[in-house]
Amino acid sequence: MPTGHEPSIGTPPRPAERRISGPELEHAVERALVLAFAPLHKRVFGTAIGIAAAVVIAVATFIAVLRYPTDTGLWTLSAYFRGYRISWTGILIGAAWAGAVGFIGGWFLAFVRNFALATWLLFIRVRANLSQTRDFLDHI
Amino acid sequence: MTSSKSSNDPDALIAADRIVQATFARLHARAWGIAFALLGGFGILAATWVLVLRGGPVVGPHLALLSNFLPGYSVTFVGGLIGFVYGFVIGYALGRLIGSAYNRMLPAPRV
Repeated sequence: MPTGHEPSIGTPPRPAERRISGPELEHAVERALVLAFAPLHKRVFGTAIGIAAAVVIAVATFIAVLRYPTDTGLWTLSAYFRGYRISWTGILIGAAWAGAVGFIGGWFLAFVRNFALATWLLFIRVRANLSQTRDFLDHI
Repeated sequence: MTSSKSSNDPDALIAADRIVQATFARLHARAWGIAFALLGGFGILAATWVLVLRGGPVVGPHLALLSNFLPGYSVTFVGGLIGFVYGFVIGYALGRLIGSAYNRMLPAPRV
């Protein structure tokens, strides 16, 4: 007679948990922290943002070409994107410009994020070191 | 580190450490999607409602151009809600695209 506590069919068995302690635990925590504060890859992040920006401009221009060639206001982008216009070639030119601008923006964003994180970590480390030596004079 | 033997092996630990040190952060694509969705949704909603509340003879002529790309959108209270849905969906797609593209292009750690 089923009790309602049987494991359901198809549920993968849980892996045996192993308790760790001492140096091994410290090591595991340290590695987890390093992963938690891992930096962003600037070039890859810039590329990802660039792709997204290029897709947005390409799709918007595509819609404008098909439906509203004159009255979307999208043509004002030509003030920043040289050679851009609402046309089939404009889709490629706009995507290329947006990709380039997105790449630079994303690269810079990742750089600032990594820099801020590194500065913060340095601050934490210095503060921890200082707190360890705070009672130095008490031992003299 | 599945077995206690490998987790206690100093060489394995050093090699694993090197991999960890050389690893770049990965992005949670769904979280990025939701973050961008909220930004996009509330961005359009706030921009629309601020203009509606401010009022005037012609309300938001430039923002109204969005209706060319987002059918049903208008610079009104209801239009702001419709814009929220559009912004949410488009933002989610963009955030998800960024997260997925980043993770896919991320090189393997060089040790």
